[in-house]
Amino acid sequence: MKKLSLLGLGAGLLAALSFTAAPAVAESTLDIVKKRGHLRCQIGTPSPGFYNLKSDGTWVGSDVSICRAIAAAIFGDPNKVEFQSVSSTVRFTALANGESDLLSRTATWTLFRDTQLGLSFTTVNFYDGQGFMVPKDSGIKSTLELKGATVCVLTGTTTELNLTDYSRVHKLDIQPVVFQDSNVRNETYLKGGCDAITNDKSGLASNKAGFPDPGAHTILPETISKEPLGPAVRKGDSQWFDIVRWTVFALIAAEEAGITQANVDEMAKNPPSPEVARMLGVEAEVHKGLGLDKSWAHWIIKSVGNYGEIYGKYMGSASSDGIGIGRAGSQNDLWTRGGLMYSPPFR
Amino acid sequence: MAVVERPRSGSDLSSVINDERYRSIFYQILVFGTVFAIAAFLVNNTLTNMAAQGKAAGFDFLLGTAGFAIAWTPLDYKPVDSYLFVYWVGIVNTLIISGISIVLTTILGFVIGILRLSKNWLIGQIAAWYVEVLRNTPLLLQIIFWYLGAFANLPRPKQSVELFGADWLILNNRGLYFPNAEFGELFWLTAVGMLISVVAAIWYNKRAIKQQLETGVYVPIWWKILVILIGLPLAIFLVTGMPLSWELPVLKGFNFQGGTFILPAMCSVLVALVIYHSAYVAEMVRAGIMSVSHGQTEAAYSLGLRPSWTMRLVIIPQAMRAIIPPMISLWMNVVKNSSLAIAIGFPDLVNVFMQTSLNQSGHAIEIVAMVMLFYMTVSLTISACLNVYNKKILLTER
Amino acid sequence: MADAPMTSGGLLVFKPKPSLPPPPATTGVIGWMRFNLFDGIYSSVTTVIGVLLIGYIAIGFYEWAFVRAVWEASSRNECRISPTEFGTCWAGVEFWFTRFIYGRYPDAEIWRIDLAALIFVLWMAPLWLPRVTAKVIVGLSAVMVFPFLAGYLFLGGERNWFMAIMVALSLTWFIGTMVHVAICLVTNQGLGRWIIQATGFASRDDRLQKYPIIILSLIAYFVVYFLVADWQTVEVVPNQWGGLFLTLVISGVGIASALPIGIVLALGRRSQMPVVRVLCVAFIELFRSVPLITILFMATTMFPLFLPKGVVFNNLASVIVAVCLFSAAYMAETVRGGLQAISRGQYEAAEAMGLSYWQSMGLIVMPQALKLMIPNIVGSFIGLLKDTTLVSIIGLYDLLGMINAVSQDPQWIGLHHEPLFTAAVLYFVACLAMSKYSQHLERKLGAGDRR
Repeated sequence: MKKLSLLGLGAGLLAALSFTAAPAVAESTLDIVKKRGHLRCQIGTPSPGFYNLKSDGTWVGSDVSICRAIAAAIFGDPNKVEFQSVSSTVRFTALANGESDLLSRTATWTLFRDTQLGLSFTTVNFYDGQGFMVPKDSGIKSTLELKGATVCVLTGTTTELNLTDYSRVHKLDIQPVVFQDSNVRNETYLKGGCDAITNDKSGLASNKAGFPDPGAHTILPETISKEPLGPAVRKGDSQWFDIVRWTVFALIAAEEAGITQANVDEMAKNPPSPEVARMLGVEAEVHKGLGLDKSWAHWIIKSVGNYGEIYGKYMGSASSDGIGIGRAGSQNDLWTRGGLMYSPPFR
Repeated sequence: MAVVERPRSGSDLSSVINDERYRSIFYQILVFGTVFAIAAFLVNNTLTNMAAQGKAAGFDFLLGTAGFAIAWTPLDYKPVDSYLFVYWVGIVNTLIISGISIVLTTILGFVIGILRLSKNWLIGQIAAWYVEVLRNTPLLLQIIFWYLGAFANLPRPKQSVELFGADWLILNNRGLYFPNAEFGELFWLTAVGMLISVVAAIWYNKRAIKQQLETGVYVPIWWKILVILIGLPLAIFLVTGMPLSWELPVLKGFNFQGGTFILPAMCSVLVALVIYHSAYVAEMVRAGIMSVSHGQTEAAYSLGLRPSWTMRLVIIPQAMRAIIPPMISLWMNVVKNSSLAIAIGFPDLVNVFMQTSLNQSGHAIEIVAMVMLFYMTVSLTISACLNVYNKKILLTER
Repeated sequence: MADAPMTSGGLLVFKPKPSLPPPPATTGVIGWMRFNLFDGIYSSVTTVIGVLLIGYIAIGFYEWAFVRAVWEASSRNECRISPTEFGTCWAGVEFWFTRFIYGRYPDAEIWRIDLAALIFVLWMAPLWLPRVTAKVIVGLSAVMVFPFLAGYLFLGGERNWFMAIMVALSLTWFIGTMVHVAICLVTNQGLGRWIIQATGFASRDDRLQKYPIIILSLIAYFVVYFLVADWQTVEVVPNQWGGLFLTLVISGVGIASALPIGIVLALGRRSQMPVVRVLCVAFIELFRSVPLITILFMATTMFPLFLPKGVVFNNLASVIVAVCLFSAAYMAETVRGGLQAISRGQYEAAEAMGLSYWQSMGLIVMPQALKLMIPNIVGSFIGLLKDTTLVSIIGLYDLLGMINAVSQDPQWIGLHHEPLFTAAVLYFVACLAMSKYSQHLERKLGAGDRR
């Protein structure tokens, strides 16, 4: 009977293997996150301003603050986040297979990504655009003068494709030199290995700040691409989509309403306007559809500040972690001051 | 040994386990079944997951437009070409860089290996430390070092160096520029001439060796071979009216235009690969030479051979038997390690296909499979050569 | 007859002439130099070139590492030695050094890594002590049993039933090993013999002698199990692992798991069963013929697709699995080499003794083959340690990944050369130490076989 029992064992093994392939029952992302007790937020490999590793091992940056804001909205605690720093090759896979709850990294919102990779971009929290940086002494004033130039670029991003497109459209015959590592790229540029660097302008600004002689380099005025950056979530969970999207809106709306990290408690006690009262959960119950506590927006502002504060700290020069990009009049300013940052009403 | 007749009966089921022949078949079926089940499980998961993510498997994407430029390739690649062409560009670049590295590694490795056995203490020590330092630091760090420490520091195009004072061999931090040959109509005659002269030289050399074996008289023939090798093609070349011109690199705008060039990144990868692996070759050569018994050296000396001849005619040929097999697996490593060029942006197969193309198209499985297929083909080819060689030295042994 | 022995008082006394001093140019420093450095024109020229080469490198290095050095600064801007130039900013390396070693591991929990390292050193140290017996068991257990304890120390959090059992086992084993070593050093005999004597079983039947050992081990195990049952540490998710620590974890797990898998694969490759052989050969050749970087890419992009829905594999786990498969394939070839070196006579003798396949492998062939393989295994470990630098390319924070992070911090932006140099030195020291040890081992193990 040994043969039969062994055959049975083999069959059992096969059966066990094939049964585990049965799909699990779908559960809402919010429930999963709450059950787990912390948020899994995917960021990229260190990039100045957006996400930086500090020497004490913590992450800071504007995209990191979005993660913290969402954790604050759910748990009231901005530290209940596990940051997953993932290289750009696998960023979308890691979101699609459920490893990350959301993606808060400099991923450009494009039609292809929004429709064919199983993910949805929620909204834009930073408007970027690709530009060029050249040494001042080269005398170049416009990208159209880069005919036949060698340009350093990082691999694996839309930057590389934009450069090729731009070169083709304007018949510039640009020779790209592709790098994996931004340090190597920067050094090549500094030693004259290429005539210009191309990257998102925010990246150029932060790189420039790290050069031995920042004054000797200039960022050309042209912006050759649109790079709307914002958090993305898996397709198919509209509640989670709303939570992420409205967290960003809450940051923008708070700035518009003048709510800051410092005065949010005061504002919650004596709301200056019905809008603020609704937002901070004092009046009406607009939070219900999100499935969050009514103080969710209060917690967000309390923990990370409003959009302007985050920008100042990490993209501006309000702290030593900032990379010093001006905001006034740029696309990233509030709509009331001529920018594109606009939140739908909290009503 | 006592032969015990084992009971064999088809009806008794327990015999399947106890009878050696059935047991072996049973185990094989079990192993195969398990592996097959695991494979089926993985494939099933993959298909489910891909369907959930709205992706379709298939190789159709290969014909789509790649859309990105490649910094260096000997082929006529343009961004409008397909991913399939990118694959081919990657393969060619990988083969070029590993081919050149293999040749240079072998030569340099032999030199260092022989230097390590030098009687000069200082040279021996330098060679020993060369080997230690190179073998004990990661290749990735070495590639970055050669790039940042050496080749990125070359002068800018406007201050280019003309190597050996020649205005056609130009070195700057954009690369090493040299002229492009443009062949005329009748150049094929010269090419045929070269072929003939090589064949003639080989035949002549064989004849001279045969003569020496028969008569014992050593006739220096190297200059005659030189005449055959150079004279005939040169004569044809001159008679047909020099059907060859050179396209020189000229500084235009930012860069040199015209001619051929190799990137500084390529130079660094080459240097790093060559130097790193030469340390291993050096050790193999040293071990190989040490494996030849000292009696051989003494016998050669007592026959009156000079030390350099002893090395060349007695020691090295015997050492080769111990050197070649590990050397060939080292060559395999060179091909594999050339993929580290990704760190400094040399467009090899892994860089252009597995990195950029994968990122742009998202077809992970197909691309990974294609890249692995290439490396497997190369390495199986190399091991096939190794097997042929091993058979050959086995035949000559006794 | 000038050389005739001199006679004195009828006795023949040998009185040697005082030997002449050696020619002045063959002894001492000068002689040594003349013989070793300036032996002929060719040798002299190469010596001069060698000296110039060393001098050039040394001066360049001295200038970079010391003359331009800035030792104290709190940001890279303070490392400027002129408005348009940075000095060699060792301050940055110092500032980040803890992170280079431990990655993002919380400062308050770093003692756990140190403790694991200390336990490992203590566990391995007996291998160097001449009086300790049963070194093979001590060494193997350090590789096979210790990882569970280390794994728990690193990860923390709640233990499931399996980990609870293994952690207690691991701890018991460690304590046992330490007691064994202490007894060995004092009494010159192993723990087992000592227990037998202490319990008075020495005079009993041989078959009974194992009982006191088994009983005592079980008692020790349960005591440890209940003592540590409530012991729990804070969970540190693998996401926070990094630096040299992560490098060592990846390569350590890689080599420890490669050994058993490699042995199975190697035996499979030599098996008589065609299906088993073909499968093993296919696996070995597949993983040996492709570069590690492609396997890592495969792991990070494809493993997530292989898993059933709902099962999530983080990046680190994928990488570790990939490294294990990769090094197992190489280990299989190392083991095969070791097996091939064992003469046929050994196999035949084992068979003639009536040993089964597994008995002859386990008792006769493997012990001899393993001895031959040890230098190669250390070699593979060095190779793996160097190869793990590649995980930084796919975005893990190993030593190199950590170094890339430094240069992206706005306060230290662009700081790159100094950390890279530090990493190179760390790797060099670690790998050189290991390779020297393996050479020493090779000589020592080979000593018995040399004629």
